[in-house]
Amino acid sequence: MAVRPASLARPVAGRPFTLQGVLEREGVFSWLMLSPGVLFLLAFIAYPFFYGIFLSLEDRRVATPGVFVGFANFQTLLGDAVFWQITRNTFVYVAATTVLKLAGGLAMALVMNQSFRGRNLARAFLLLPFIVPTALSTVAWMWILDPTFSVVNWLLVNLGVVAKGYSFLGNATLAMGSLIVVNTWRGMPFYGITLLAGLQTITPDLYEAAAIDGATTAQRFRYVTLPIIKPVLIIVTMFSVIFTFGDFQLIYALTHGGPANATHVFSTWAFDIGMSAGQLGMGAAVALAILPALAVLIVALTIYLRRE
Amino acid sequence: MRTRREFLALSAGAVAATALGPRRADAAPKAMTIVRESSFIKAFDDYFAKTLLPEYEKLTGIKMSYEAVSVGGMLTRLTTIVETKSGPEVAMTAINWPHLFDAGLVDLTDVATEIGKKLGPWHDNVLDAVVVNKRWKALPWGNIGQLEAYRTDWFAEVGVKKFPDTWEDLLAAGRLLKKKGHPFGFELGHGFGDNHGWLYPLLWSYGGREVDKDGKTVLIDSPETAKAVDFCRKFYQETMLEDVLGWTDVNNNKAYLGEQISCTNNASSILVVAKRDFPEIAKVTDHGMNPQGPKGRYHIINAVSHAVVNHADVAASKAFLRWLYDDKQMSRWLASGDAYYAPFLTAYDNHPMWNSEPRYLPYKESLKTSRLHGWPGPAGHALAESVAKYVLVDMFAKACRGDSTKDVIATAASQLKQIYKAK
Repeated sequence: MAVRPASLARPVAGRPFTLQGVLEREGVFSWLMLSPGVLFLLAFIAYPFFYGIFLSLEDRRVATPGVFVGFANFQTLLGDAVFWQITRNTFVYVAATTVLKLAGGLAMALVMNQSFRGRNLARAFLLLPFIVPTALSTVAWMWILDPTFSVVNWLLVNLGVVAKGYSFLGNATLAMGSLIVVNTWRGMPFYGITLLAGLQTITPDLYEAAAIDGATTAQRFRYVTLPIIKPVLIIVTMFSVIFTFGDFQLIYALTHGGPANATHVFSTWAFDIGMSAGQLGMGAAVALAILPALAVLIVALTIYLRRE
Repeated sequence: MRTRREFLALSAGAVAATALGPRRADAAPKAMTIVRESSFIKAFDDYFAKTLLPEYEKLTGIKMSYEAVSVGGMLTRLTTIVETKSGPEVAMTAINWPHLFDAGLVDLTDVATEIGKKLGPWHDNVLDAVVVNKRWKALPWGNIGQLEAYRTDWFAEVGVKKFPDTWEDLLAAGRLLKKKGHPFGFELGHGFGDNHGWLYPLLWSYGGREVDKDGKTVLIDSPETAKAVDFCRKFYQETMLEDVLGWTDVNNNKAYLGEQISCTNNASSILVVAKRDFPEIAKVTDHGMNPQGPKGRYHIINAVSHAVVNHADVAASKAFLRWLYDDKQMSRWLASGDAYYAPFLTAYDNHPMWNSEPRYLPYKESLKTSRLHGWPGPAGHALAESVAKYVLVDMFAKACRGDSTKDVIATAASQLKQIYKAK
């Protein structure tokens, strides 16, 4: 016969079982504090995510009950040439914008880390592309890239660089290039400000020591700056890649995936199939097709953070 | 003589009827909301929200609200309304949406029949868009037609006094106009209306079809389609700007009003805006019907209609629609719309709304030759998928950018076979 420890058999003398007592326990209190966040995540992240997986396994037309079809939606996608074109577009878009944002953001952070007159004002202005709502800034870009009214074309033609303006959104290659430029413009400040925060944690003593040892500017960057900001660099890149994979507004507003699917990515195509074609199951399957790539990134990020 | 069991059942029924009956009869909703995509014609929206709805509110005591959805966003809004079974009771539909949302919409056959008897008959060709399995799932309001808006002064400069009647004649005029620095601009990108608005009619007028009536036989791979594709490539290369391949629905309006193009396919909104903001351009703008091809002349149907969603109070919603589609209201509302919507009821074929501006008359004329996207195929989910995936638009766009006719048709055929689940 099992014997319970005496301490569990009855409340400890002198410490009556009160609500306050329960709340003061670390385990209870910490969960209480965490619960709003956890509930929020469950309601707005976990539930839609799992519902999305559930939908992707159904032939679910709008306004009608779904029929479970297993992996049939994914099988259909794998046999669809447009799906592969969209996969290629998405990876080109994410890779190009990430490299450009990383290089530009790092340069921006290094400049902003120097002392110069009006530095704070410059920092505030650099954040503008990130702060302005995407839908709004996209309208401005629509005019900038509009072949008829483009200020870029106007400048190029009037400066005598080209005889005829470019068709920024009508030509497949230029359209993708234009979207990459706009995404880079919008996303670079995120890199810049985050990396600047990383740069400011570097104590000047290290640079002084390196200078005394005869290190050149390039060497100081290579052997002092880069190793210290590496963790920030990796995290900011990972986050940015995840956000860029899901980019929607910019592409939807500027090209809607055209010309001839040249700029369609997972998110815009998923929207068209789910909403415009009313195929919620297939739309969810397209959206979830990004999952393997994102999962690899998230796992890599988690492993890296643990090791650090 | 009744048995005890029958008596009990009758008594229970009577008690229930006493309890529920009068309440049910008086249970008009306290409020109703009507959701529509905001119109290009502001006066039309204003007349509905500020005159008609307050009138109905005064008449019935039901608080009437109007929700305007931005252009291009109505399909998404309707999806959320039907999926969540909450929100507005009466919703605007377009293209083939009554087929998509069939299970979520109320049968309006009785109301449609009554209206048809009073003001009709309804134009036959709209039935494809709103009648699903012999049931009316929406009441057609009016067609937003897609015709050619063109510059009469520039056309006259190259000796074209009347809008060309055939695609070949339009191509000839376009060649001359492009040389003069006045190219055409027909949308070939991923917009929602101005692309399908001329590409389906172009295909049909050359005898091409996406799919047969049975919805199983894909017909796109045909010599007729090849002729249409070859024509389109020539039409694009010899008359247009390269940009049209990336255009969405706003671009051609901007380019026309910016005097960059001499002709485009659009609703009458270009002339409406020109009359308001660019009177000099308005003076030299007119409309032409879609040109005819070797196999006839066609236009697209985009029937703006009103549907009642399942969670609505059906009786109250139908009562509202009966009132709205009564000539006393309908006539005034149509007149406020500047002939932007061509009604599908024959009683309005000679309505005074058409007299104020003869340049809108081709939009009325075009109804006779209008067909729903994907015609003659069925108007169901597969059609919506084909439209959402821009199968036809991209087939033409790829040919215009230089792909071979054979390749673009083969790609479209394989996509359509997958969509229509055909062999």
